[in-house]
Amino acid sequence: MSWTSNRTAILILKLSPLMLPFVVLFCGGVFLTVCQSLGLFTPLPHTGGLVDAYTVILSDPSFFASAGFSFGVALASAAGSVTAATFLAYRVWQLPKMMAGAALVYKIPLILPHIAVAFVVLVFWSQSGILASLAHALGLIQSMQEFPNVLFSGWGVGMILAYTLKGTPFAMLLILALLVRFDVRQIQTAAMLGASRSRIFFSIVMPRLAPALHTSFIILFLYSFGAFDIPYILSESRPGMLSLHVFDLYFKHDLARRPEAMAILTLMFGFAVLFIIAYSKTVTRLENGVRKL
Amino acid sequence: MKPSHPAAHILFLVLLFSLFALPAGILVLVGLAPGWRFPDLWPEQFSFAGIEFLITHREQIVSSLVSSFLYSLATVFVTLCMCLTPAAAFARQRFPGKRLLEALVLTPALVPPMTFAMGLHMVFIKLSLADTAAGVVLILALFSYPYMFRALVAGFQTMGEGYRVCARNLGAGNIAIFRQVELPLLVPAMIAGGSVVFLVAFSEYFLVFLMGGGNVPSFTGFLMPLLASSNRSLAAVLTLIFLLLPILLFFMLDWGLMRSYRKKGMI
Repeated sequence: MSWTSNRTAILILKLSPLMLPFVVLFCGGVFLTVCQSLGLFTPLPHTGGLVDAYTVILSDPSFFASAGFSFGVALASAAGSVTAATFLAYRVWQLPKMMAGAALVYKIPLILPHIAVAFVVLVFWSQSGILASLAHALGLIQSMQEFPNVLFSGWGVGMILAYTLKGTPFAMLLILALLVRFDVRQIQTAAMLGASRSRIFFSIVMPRLAPALHTSFIILFLYSFGAFDIPYILSESRPGMLSLHVFDLYFKHDLARRPEAMAILTLMFGFAVLFIIAYSKTVTRLENGVRKL
Repeated sequence: MKPSHPAAHILFLVLLFSLFALPAGILVLVGLAPGWRFPDLWPEQFSFAGIEFLITHREQIVSSLVSSFLYSLATVFVTLCMCLTPAAAFARQRFPGKRLLEALVLTPALVPPMTFAMGLHMVFIKLSLADTAAGVVLILALFSYPYMFRALVAGFQTMGEGYRVCARNLGAGNIAIFRQVELPLLVPAMIAGGSVVFLVAFSEYFLVFLMGGGNVPSFTGFLMPLLASSNRSLAAVLTLIFLLLPILLFFMLDWGLMRSYRKKGMI
């Protein structure tokens, strides 16, 4: 065996603990989802055509309502988390050393599971919740019914709140990891040259944080788009999140509708992949136009 | 150019606490006051009903906690085995298609886990992996390994090649270098990646429900029906346990690590 092919063999051997599960389980899992959406390998023999499930789904207006709703909830919560996290992390970074330890409380929602964060939102925002009591004590409302029905407004506000509460510390973690390596002298120089606070923040700090902002946005957006735990607790009746729709089709209906559940999953997967590609392409293009410091 | 006024900092800390720590504080109150109702701003009466529930159901609670803890730990171990050598290769070697491959192996953490887990479910049933702890660990590892991978690649990059070259010059073989030089230096990266993997696995509800099918007890599975029930006090008490256990674990880890480093004279 020649020297280079030997090296390649070693490299393949080194990569295999990761590549084997990736190919067999992950790619295999997605492949099986796609197959079942076409009616192949389903638990019940599928009698119709290959794309029957897709025809059913795509002719159902409630699918598009759910998809749009999931997209909206994901967009609002990811954008909210990243924006809040940017400002909070920047302020945490500016704290004097002796106070910085106390700022670690931001990690609490990171530890709480999603279902517990959903529960916290329930305790705070329901019409008989803590905030309603507070509003009553302040004389803003006289009875429970006067408190805005935040959780069942039909806009998914409860889910957005829960995802934002869970997502903000996550984004802060990524942003702070970049900030600790940030050179204070750049800010001091800018201040000496007369830059305003907002100008320093937007022209000097933000561009440096961009990689963390993009990464956290993609992760949070796609997670909220397709996850199940929080909608299971905070969902409203209609339109529902896509994941709940899939759950119902998979567990609550008869096996004949399995391909429909799988077709929705296939479409979600396709959307996620397209989103990642489109987002990274856009970011690269935008960044090529920006002068690096 | 930093805002110099201490009051501004204190005000900011108050904001931070009310956003992230107040919820936990309120949970303590909810847990201690089952009868706390609108419009009371402070509970009228405290009771230990929630704690009593803990004591009467301790066997179920402890068994689900232990089960969650063990499968999460197993997940950390599996992800570590999956990522150790590939991370070394990614951090040190150049090979064609590296960037594409790196992007590909990170996708399981990005795409909705339902999309591959539900496809696999049928195969797991056929292989009798469904409803077993092994199936749960496999699916959790598949979804969470990218965090371990990223942490280990960063760990190998920070370590650099210097230690390795030095040890080789002193006559150490590959295995000795790995065991005595690189592995100890990688511990912080393993803990960083492992903590995230542990938290992801420990707090996941759906994947455990799907692959465990009720046969694998889990704390999230135990908690879920209580969260939806009208008894908020119980749910609050159990959520607090959820918060305390990982914190305790991380403190112990941190303390143990510091001690072993001191012993070896590394700090």
